[in-house]
Amino acid sequence: MIYFYDGTKQSFLTALLAAYSDGEAVLSSRSAQLGLGEQSVFVHADPVRAEKAEKRLLRYDPKCMEDLDLLLRSGADDRDKVALDYFRLIAARKCPVRAMLAEDAVAAAEDCIRRVQFEVHRFHGFVRFLESASGALYAPIAPDNDICDLLVPHFRARLPRFPFVIHDVKRKRAAVYDGEHTFLAPLDRAEVALSADEGAWQALWKKYYKSVNIPSRERLKQMRGYMPVRYWKFMPEKFGDLC
Amino acid sequence: MISEEKLQILTESAKYDVSCSSSGSKRKNEGGIGNGYAAGCCHSFTPDGRCISLLKILLSNDCIFRCKYCMSRADADVPRATATPEEICTLVMDFYKRNYIEGLFLSSAVVKSPDYAMEQLVRTVKLLRTEYGFHGYIHVKGIPHADPLLAREAAQYADRMSYNIELPSEASLKLLAPQKSKESLLLPMKQLQREALAFRAEKRRGYFLPAGQTTQMIVGASPEPDGQILRLTQSLYRANGLKRVYYSSYVPVVHDRLLPAVGAKPMREHRLYQADWLLRFYGFTAEEIVEDDGNLSLELDPKCAWALRNPQFFPVEVNRAPLEMLLRVPGIGARSAQKILSARRYARLGFADLQKMRVVLKRARHFLTADGKFFGTENPAALRGLLTAGEARENAVQLDLFRELEAARTARTGEL
Repeated sequence: MIYFYDGTKQSFLTALLAAYSDGEAVLSSRSAQLGLGEQSVFVHADPVRAEKAEKRLLRYDPKCMEDLDLLLRSGADDRDKVALDYFRLIAARKCPVRAMLAEDAVAAAEDCIRRVQFEVHRFHGFVRFLESASGALYAPIAPDNDICDLLVPHFRARLPRFPFVIHDVKRKRAAVYDGEHTFLAPLDRAEVALSADEGAWQALWKKYYKSVNIPSRERLKQMRGYMPVRYWKFMPEKFGDLC
Repeated sequence: MISEEKLQILTESAKYDVSCSSSGSKRKNEGGIGNGYAAGCCHSFTPDGRCISLLKILLSNDCIFRCKYCMSRADADVPRATATPEEICTLVMDFYKRNYIEGLFLSSAVVKSPDYAMEQLVRTVKLLRTEYGFHGYIHVKGIPHADPLLAREAAQYADRMSYNIELPSEASLKLLAPQKSKESLLLPMKQLQREALAFRAEKRRGYFLPAGQTTQMIVGASPEPDGQILRLTQSLYRANGLKRVYYSSYVPVVHDRLLPAVGAKPMREHRLYQADWLLRFYGFTAEEIVEDDGNLSLELDPKCAWALRNPQFFPVEVNRAPLEMLLRVPGIGARSAQKILSARRYARLGFADLQKMRVVLKRARHFLTADGKFFGTENPAALRGLLTAGEARENAVQLDLFRELEAARTARTGEL
């Protein structure tokens, strides 16, 4: 049986209850190929049952909802299976399983969560703000995982006086800080009028990037390992290298 | 706004300084812009594989010193430029706002006199902190022979300071950097260490070098062996409380009869960094890693080399070995060791479990048993061959008549 759900926490918990005793259950939040004669069901979020499941799980492991939040942000193909296996194990053992790294389910979940957290860390560095004419900052990003709102606290703490928008162009949503509050909003395309100096600062940055390199020690493979090509699209210093 | 030419000149003269980390400071945002990020943060990577974390720049490259290895030395024919403190400040603010950089790494050539150059550095960072309200990371280079009061003032605004030792012995320093002396580098380090301790003891408000001090040595410009370099490193960590020692493999940018015409091998620098990690995070001492006047093996990483010299400690059992011993197993790093500690509280670990936990077993399997089972090679000669085989191919070198590579020897005995 394939259990389709919409990728939210509530519908995941509802689906978990439905699929828990079904040993051959497959959880999916994306489109999936049905096998011959295979049954499928679409699980609608049921707030009452979801809350019951959450309370029960929190009793076993007070920190497990943070894990779930990160798992559901993952862009990995197998994240639904990973999350299902992980929470099944918590329910079966009735205790935190985080440290049982020799369990397949835990190793997979830890890996998945780590990837999401690592991408958040990377984007603390790789986000590139453009200064708009009004002084607000705008940064388009296209991360592998759904992390744009997780980036906000970091930038809010260091740029408290600048309103900014971090726009996930892949998922068409934006995390906004208006100088006081932060919120998530759907955003398809943004037209930004840039400030007069923006072009000149970008040119200086490109000049700096070129000057600080030591050409006689070229190690392109290492550079691409640390800063994968898929992230270059919105980084001014790499515009020239993308063809 | 600073001109592109000036930025280029001042960056190109600063780029051979390898220090770039932005970690260790938890400075809070108090109004203006910026804060510290204790874990450090890389913002970009250049084609040479190095990260850009800080805006690395000189205030001026107009130098009165004549250090032989330096491209900005007084008698060199290079374009000179000097930036004003305001130019640097606006550059930092606008780069930081766009998230290009994590902070500033400010150094300077010795303009006019050491005191004058240091004054300019202090003026710039003070301006940046007080007038521009910048709370991000600042690393300031200390100028040797400058007044101690200037060093102390700089430390009140900077997160980290560094005096570069450059050459690992006094004799080389005398030969290649005649205007610097061992005292002019070590005394300010000691002074700042003392003052930082006093500051912390008094629990005063504000900051005094929250990210400590670092230094840098050029490797391959002078004849000191790795053993000497590592012993110096160890004493700097122990006696002077440094946070990091950086190594910069010598790049010949200047031609002088006292300097080698070819650069140092990048692999030597790499091995020194591996050894440095062993000193700081793995509980090794310099004496264990390499003999006094010896060099690190280029074919084997220092931990492997130590393990091969000390077979009496191996194999260790992953389910019982204490953390200190796990950390000494080649191929097991700090993260793998922690994973093993945590997982073995719940289950006896076999090799399949280690693989699942992504513990890299390529080297480790020769030095450990899992649940009593051993999957490595016991024959020492074959083991050495296996450990060097992959590395030797990557760093293949032309053999000369009188030198015999260890890998070649084992290849001849047929035990690969």
